This record gives sequence, C-alpha cells and structure tokens, in this order.
Amino acid sequence: MNAMKRRFAIAIFGAITIVAAACAVPPAAPPPAAEATRPADPVGKIEGQAEQVAAAAVMTAMPPKPGGSAARAIELAKKYAGVTLNVTWEAGLQSQDPLLFSAPEFERLTGVKINVIETPFTELFSKAVADHQAGGGAYDVLNFAPTWLADLADGGVLEPLDAYIEQHMDKNDLSDLHPTYAKYQQWKGKTYGLWDDGDVFVMYYRRDWFEDAKNKGDFKAKYNRELAPPKTWQEWDEVCSFFTERGKANNEYGCAIQRTAGNTYLWFYEQFRSNGGRFFDADMKAAINSDIGVKTLTDMVNANKHMPPGIEKWGFVEVLQAWMDGKLGMIITWPPIGRWSEGYGLESKQLEWVPKTNVAGKVGYAVSPGGHSELAVGFMLGVSSNSKNKEAAYAFIQWLTSPEVSGQRVKIPFALRDPYRMSHFNDPEYAKLWPNASEYLKVLQEGAATGLADLGIPGAREYEEALDRAITAAYAGTDPKAALDKAAEEWNAITERIGVESQKAAYADWQKRLGANAYP
Amino acid sequence: MTTSAVQSLSPTAARKRRQRKARAYAWRYALIAAALIFFSFPAFWIATIAFKSSSEYFRNPPVWIPANPNIVQNLDKVIRTGGLTAIGNSLIVTVSATAIALVVGTLAAYSLARFNTGGNNFAFWILSQRFLPPVSVVFPVFLLFRALRWVDTFHGLIVLYATFSLPFVVWMMRSYIREVPIEVEESAQVDGASRLRTIISITLPLASPGLIATGIFTFIFNWNEFLFALVLSRTNVITYPVKLTSYFGPESAFWGEAATVSLIATLPVVIATLLMQRYLATGLTLGAVK
Amino acid sequence: MTLQHRARNKRNGGKYALVAPATLMILCIALFPLLYAIVVSFQNIDARTPVGAFVGFKNYFDALRDARFWNALGNTALIVAVCVTAELVLGFILAQTLVSHLPGKRFITPLLILPVVIAPLIVGYTWRMLWDTQYGPINQVLGWITGRPVEIVWLANPVKVWPAIFITEVWQWTPFMFLVLLAGLAAINPEYREAAEIDGASSWQVLRFVTLPLVWPVMAVAILFRALDAFKVFDIVFALTNGGPGTMTETVSLYAYSVGFRNFRISYMAALTLILIAIVSVAITVLWRRMSANQERRA
Repeated sequence: MNAMKRRFAIAIFGAITIVAAACAVPPAAPPPAAEATRPADPVGKIEGQAEQVAAAAVMTAMPPKPGGSAARAIELAKKYAGVTLNVTWEAGLQSQDPLLFSAPEFERLTGVKINVIETPFTELFSKAVADHQAGGGAYDVLNFAPTWLADLADGGVLEPLDAYIEQHMDKNDLSDLHPTYAKYQQWKGKTYGLWDDGDVFVMYYRRDWFEDAKNKGDFKAKYNRELAPPKTWQEWDEVCSFFTERGKANNEYGCAIQRTAGNTYLWFYEQFRSNGGRFFDADMKAAINSDIGVKTLTDMVNANKHMPPGIEKWGFVEVLQAWMDGKLGMIITWPPIGRWSEGYGLESKQLEWVPKTNVAGKVGYAVSPGGHSELAVGFMLGVSSNSKNKEAAYAFIQWLTSPEVSGQRVKIPFALRDPYRMSHFNDPEYAKLWPNASEYLKVLQEGAATGLADLGIPGAREYEEALDRAITAAYAGTDPKAALDKAAEEWNAITERIGVESQKAAYADWQKRLGANAYP
Repeated sequence: MTTSAVQSLSPTAARKRRQRKARAYAWRYALIAAALIFFSFPAFWIATIAFKSSSEYFRNPPVWIPANPNIVQNLDKVIRTGGLTAIGNSLIVTVSATAIALVVGTLAAYSLARFNTGGNNFAFWILSQRFLPPVSVVFPVFLLFRALRWVDTFHGLIVLYATFSLPFVVWMMRSYIREVPIEVEESAQVDGASRLRTIISITLPLASPGLIATGIFTFIFNWNEFLFALVLSRTNVITYPVKLTSYFGPESAFWGEAATVSLIATLPVVIATLLMQRYLATGLTLGAVK
Repeated sequence: MTLQHRARNKRNGGKYALVAPATLMILCIALFPLLYAIVVSFQNIDARTPVGAFVGFKNYFDALRDARFWNALGNTALIVAVCVTAELVLGFILAQTLVSHLPGKRFITPLLILPVVIAPLIVGYTWRMLWDTQYGPINQVLGWITGRPVEIVWLANPVKVWPAIFITEVWQWTPFMFLVLLAGLAAINPEYREAAEIDGASSWQVLRFVTLPLVWPVMAVAILFRALDAFKVFDIVFALTNGGPGTMTETVSLYAYSVGFRNFRISYMAALTLILIAIVSVAITVLWRRMSANQERRA
C-alpha cells in the first residue's frame, strides 16, 4: 500500500516536472500554420521599420550641440560609467521610450546603465512615497505627475535641483520651455523637477463629418446655426447628439470621453473651471459642490447619453480603438492621438496594438469647448533624495529633457512625450510629419497657453481620488449634488488633516504661481 | 395467485424503474453539462483572448474564435513587458517559501502530532493565523519590513510567504503524521536512531503522499497570493499577479498580454490540481473534512 | 493514551525544539508586528508626519464615525451573505448530483473544481473581460436570447454591478462547497437512507431528516471557512471594479488598503486593521469549536 502511495507521489512529481518543462517551451514556438497565414508583414520587417524611424529621429539631431545641456550632461554622466540608475516610468506604452530609445542611447553615450522600472500610473506616487518611508534607495530617478510635486517635496522624497541646474544646465534651455510649463517646476522657491511632457487635452474632430453637405444642412435645419466644431459645452452636446442620432445604427457616435474611474476627474477640472468654478472658497472650504459644480457634473452625466454604451467603463484604449475605427465624431484626450490618427509611426512594432487608422487626413484639432484645455497630468522628472548617485541621476534627466533629446523623443512614434518646448512647437521637422501637423502644433501650443493646471497642492492625490469617486458615483446614478456634497466633505476632511492654514497658503501659492493657468 | 401476479407485474415495474433511472440520469447529465459550461467558459474565453490580436478582442460583437489564432504576438509583448520575468520571480519566491514552510512546518507538526505539544490552544493559535484578513496582517508586516529594510527583497517575501504557509502545513502534516503507526517509529528508536533520524528516515517516507499534497497546495496558495506582493514589491520582486495589474488601468487595457500571462500562470496549477484532486477537499479545509 | 505515549517515548525532550522554529517565525513575522500596530494605532502617523504623537483612541473613534468604513463593512457583509448562501446551495445540488454512481464521474469532478485553484486576481480580470458592455460575450449571449442587442453596463451600474460581483465570486468558490460537501455526502452510510426509503419516506423527507443532519457537521465547517475567506475578499473586487462606481462596491480590505497604501494614513489604517482582527477573531473562535467537535467525533 505504502509502496503504491510512494509510486503515486513520484508519478505526480514527474508529471508536474514534465508539464512545467513543456509549458515553458511550446508557446514560444509558433505553430507553422499560423505563421503561414500571417499577413505579409513579418515581424522582422516591422521591427526594421521601427528602427529606421527611431534612427531617423536620432540621426537628425545628433551629435548634441557642444556646450549645450545634452553635451554637458553626457560629460557629467561619464564620471559614473558602470553605475546603474533605477528609473521609474509609467508601465506599458509609456515605458517604450526609455526601454528602446533613451536608456540604451544614454548607456551607449555615457556607460551609465538605466534600469527602467515599469509602474502603474498611480503607483508612481505611492511606491515613491512608500520607498522613501521604508528608508529608500530603490529608485534614483522618479517620474511623477506635477500635482504630486508639493507632496513629494514636502515629504522629502525629491532632491532640490537648483544647485545642479546652476552648475550644469545651459540656462537658455529654461527659457526654451513653454512659459506655462516653466511655472510648474518649483515648490516653496526650490526647483524639484524638470518638465518632461506637454500633456494637454485637445479636441479632435472629424473634419469630413463637419464638412459633409448633408450634415451641414440637417444640422442647420435642426439648430438654426452652422455646423462647426463646438466652442461651448452646450454646443458640444448638441453636435454630439446630432451625430449620434445620425449614426447610431452603424455603431457611430457623436463623441466619446473616457469615463472610467481613475482619471475622470480631469474632465471635471476642465469643464468646471471653464464654467467659472473654483476649487476652494476664501476659508479654504471645498467649493466643488457649488452650483457651478453641480451644473458641471449634471452636464457630464447627461452627456454620457449620447456617447457609446458602456462609456462609464471606457478608458483611453477603448476611446482610441473606436476613434481609429472611425466610429466617433469628437473626442477630447491626450496628444499622441493626433499623431496616431494620421498613422504616423504606427508601423513600428511597439504601436502594433494601436488599431489601424481609418481617419488619416480627416482629423481637425481645436482647444476644448469653453476655451480652455486641461493641462492633464503631464510628467516631470526628479531625483530621489535617497539616491546614492544623485549627480548621475540628475545628468540623466537633464539629458532627457534637453532641447535636442526631448526634441527627438516627442517625434519618436512609440515615445508618448508631447511637445512642451518652444523649440518643439517651432520644429520644422515635426510640422512636416503629416499634412496638417503644423495646425496640430499650433493647437497644442494654444492649449498650453490657455490651459488649466491640475490642482497642485499637498494632498492632491487624495483630493483627486475623492472627486473621482463622486463623479463615477454620479455616472452610476447618484444625484450629482449629493455626490459632490460628499466629495466636498471629504475634501474638507483632507484639508483639516493636513492643516487648514498651511493648505490655505499652499493654495494661494499655487494660484499665484500658475496665474491664468490656475483660473481663467 | 400471488406468484402469478408478481410474474405478470414485474416486467412493467422493471421497465418503469429503468425509465425512471434513465430520466434521473438525463436530469443529472443535463445539470452537469450546464455546470461544466458555466465553470469552463471563462477559461475558454481567456484562452481565445490570448490567441487574439487587439483588433479582435476589441470587436463588437465579440469574436469567439480568432481568425488566425496566434499566441506569439501576445507572448512576444509579454516577454517585452517583463511578464515572463514576473512569472520567474513568482517561481523563485513560491518554491523557496514552500520548501521552508514544509521543513519548519513538518517538524512542528510532528511535535504536535506525537506529543500534543502546547495542547489544543497552541494548535488553535497556529491555525488562527490562517484566518486573519491579509490586509490586517500586511500592514504591521510592512512596518516591520520597513524597519528591517526587507521591502522589495526576495528574502522578505519568501520569509513572509513561508510564515503564512505554516498554519496550513502544520495542520495538514499533523493529521498525516498521526496516521503513521507509532510502533514503526518506536522500533527504530529501540535500534538507537535519534529523534530527527527517525523522523527523516521512518515517519516522513510513510507520510510522503501527505507531504507531497501539502507541498503542492502550499505552492498553489503562495503562487496565487496577490496582496502581500502588491504591498511589498517595488522593483526587484514583481510577482506575476502584481505584473497583471499593470496591464489594466484608466489608460491601459492590454487584454492580450493579461490573458497570456494568466494562461501561462494558470496552466501548471491546473495540472497539479488534476493530479492532486483526491486530496483537494482535505487541503482546502486544513484536514477538517476528509 | 497520552500518558502511555509519554511512558514509551522517553526522549520527548526535543518536542519543544521541533516547534521552536515555526513558533519563532510566527511570533516574529505575524505577532510582533501586530503588537507594534497596536502602538501605532494610538498615534497620528501619516505621509506628512513620520514621527507620531500619542492621540489616544482618536483613530478608533474616527473609524466608528467613518461612513466609508461602515459602507465597506456593509458591502463585505452583503458579499459574504449572498455568495456563501449561493455557493452552499449550488454546491450542494452539484454534490447531490454527483455523489451516487454516474458514468463519467471520474472525469467530470476534476473539471468542476478547477476554479478553486486559479488565482482570484486572474478570475477577477477574466470576468471583467466577460462582463464588458461591448466587447464581452455575456451581453452578446443575452442578446441572442432576447433577440435584440443588449448593452448592459454591468460594472458601472449601482444595481447590476452586484450580480456581476456575486456571479464571479460564486463561480470561483462554488466548487469549494461542492467538493467539501461531496466528501461529506460520500461519507454517509447509504444504509441510513435506504432504511428511510423502505419506511416510505419521500425523497424530500430523506433529504431533510436524514441527509442534511448527517452532513451538517461538514457543512458547518465549510460555511465557516467560506464566510471567513469571503470576508477577506480583495483580489476579485480589486480586479472587477476596484470598489467602484464611487465606493459602492468597496470592501473592508479594499478600503483599508487604500487608506494605508494609497493615502499613507498609517495610524488610521492600524486602527482599522485591529478592528478587523477583532471581528474576525470572534468568527475564528466559533470555527474552532466546530472543528474540535468534528475531530472528537471522528476520534
């Protein structure tokens, strides 16, 4: 009996080992049939093209200007050849830039190795804080959203960069930053990060739908005005419902905005302030539940009716998919869509998940309705105060954000960084990428100039989360007023926990620093 | 009279019984078929997604069978995004933790089984660790690991997993060791073998089916663990469940990669289970049900 | 018995040495930090206050007044109540169906129990794809049945999100109930049932007065196991809804996680943690009584 049990046990172990070994091997080998039926763009060719595109972007601007920030950063980093820097980056597509371009290129130039740590967006903040609290040292370079700057700086997570900038940067590069983005880099008089991404919401619309004679006639008959890209939220709603009614049977919708939990508060931030809303009153009490707030949220909830079914769970990828398929009339989202819509760089392997575009040559751009686009999230680069190689870490971020290198990165198809320097907006090469690329650059620049900054005071992430929960609750049917009242209560609790007086000062500072980019 | 009645009735009765039996079988099979479809459909769906391209899984109406089934495209992306590395990390952590838990746990189980060390209360105390909500455990552990600088280290996660596997190992092995006749051990000890020697060369071989079952279950539980890993991983020790979360977010919905990682990570567990199924009830209830 | 053993095993001095490593590990990794958490729960440590001051029971009082915490407790209780009941009923029906002889049983049982061993996180993400409004097959199949397109937004509707969560949870854990009850039913001596049938009992009566009482000890343990585990639910909801829309499906585990590891309100999380442990301890004690009773019966 026992001998049998033992044999049974041995058999099990053997089987598992074999299976485990088998599992490790076969999926890697493609079934021949599948290989044979693949369309005529074998992987190797795509990869080759991607490399060509990347190489083209690299070649045009290399070598860096002697004495410029990039060249000086390379010289500085060479002292640290052999050192490895841990760099956080948003997981997934965002990370393709450092993984495929920036990190290997920097290592080739300086001998400093870059270890890219892919982290989901919200974890970029919590892991950085947790690491600092745990004694730190896991990260050298931190990638973060500008709204977290106050918390990260106050919490001692970030290293002040002024001394490094003074010593190593070409000061002209500071004035090359778009004036709006330049306002962000400091907190309480010290510089804690370098700006690295011009993330401004822009409205993308289907020119062909707007120019269609029948659409124009029908629209005019119904609304007694010309069919045109909307300038107000009221107009947006009308145009959206007009297109949806027209195309719903073909699965076509007038508009879509990602509504899934996580970032939906950004569209509220934008619309709320375009409507004249303020985040706090003079006593630092939350004012998001004001009449303007309730109206804004009510409008947002109502707008969902004209959007595709299930929009409440749509994220960036779902909106993108439908847009590229040609199923949507208008969207408001982040920049890379402008490039992708035209198919620019879509042949690169990293973008193979991006759907084939059916809208190339049919897309127009405009600042969001209400006249102000949200400067939504964006990215900054900073040096961890726990880094053992702060100078090398600084050299890396100076190199990345230098006009030459950032100028390449905003053009590399799979890098998701978008124009933020004057030299990017005025880049003749960018303007040639597709027929109306110069129009796109103009709208991005206008968006930056008139854009609204995310609320950037201590506790920003907590405020955002509370508001985001209220909004998704309202999408799900909670009364907007009740939802916002609850969020306002949570906001007040956060403010009280952090300290009403200090928050008042931080809020005043934020308004002063951002000026017209805080409130129009 | 009586006999003839029985004789004339019995063929009908037998047929009725047979019919009833057939109907009962039909009902049972119908029920089971429904259950099988329900319980296997998600697995089927995840497998098809792993073989689909993004334009196929974002299709309305959904596609059931991919036109050109091809897992290479998704596998390639999984490798490029560190999915296989994460599975490798999971393997290191899980195997090490399971090994430690088996050694330490079996020794304790032996003591409990043979000497009732510490009495029932001690056994209960060990058991109670199994039922604490992980979220209440992970927080104090995070504070401790922070002080020890064990956050995001292999040894940190291994020790943690091993410790929280102990209640299971101790309870399972306690009951398996109890089934080994004590007389066998005694004869060995009469021959002069030490306690440890007896355990290793006499008791364990006799309890080996139980040991293997316990080991495989411990492996499965640790393999599937998510919360501890989520809280305690940063850069070095990203296990596959933590990696999975990076495929989903407000900006990402990489179903293909997620499905492929899920498939690779689930296959070994499923096969182990099929082999271990007769121990499953015991394993899932810590021996409370045999 | 024990005395006899003691007499026979003269060298049992090693018994403490054998349990020492396990005890030490549990003490260091599980218990010591818990004591530390008690200390922290009386302070006010958060992301901006790394060194806390003593604040007494403030965190506990805050927790008791925290509407979001109560909401999360309510959601968790709902999940436990609905899912464990559904799993019990479905598991019992399946076990009854498969307990007696049936050709093919050997192949059916292992297929039915697979969900139990799949990582709950994977289960959550898988079902999230299944429930998708446009790209998931559930609405599609419902559309085939009703004959017109179905566009239910399962995961962002305050009512429909619940069946989505329940079914997902029930999918994963019904097999557990099935398996345990199958073992319990198989252990019942068929003579009891036959005797009742000969006495003319209907099949309902047999179930009610013979089968259920006999399987009850096993069933009770299974219920307690499931209830305790369902109370901890984190992975599945994390993957399906992450507590949304709003906080409508937030469970205690999700809430505690977000307080501690998203907002870094460390002392407050410690207080929540200890309240949770207190709640669970009561349930564990009940479970323990059950299990020891079972063991005595078997012995």
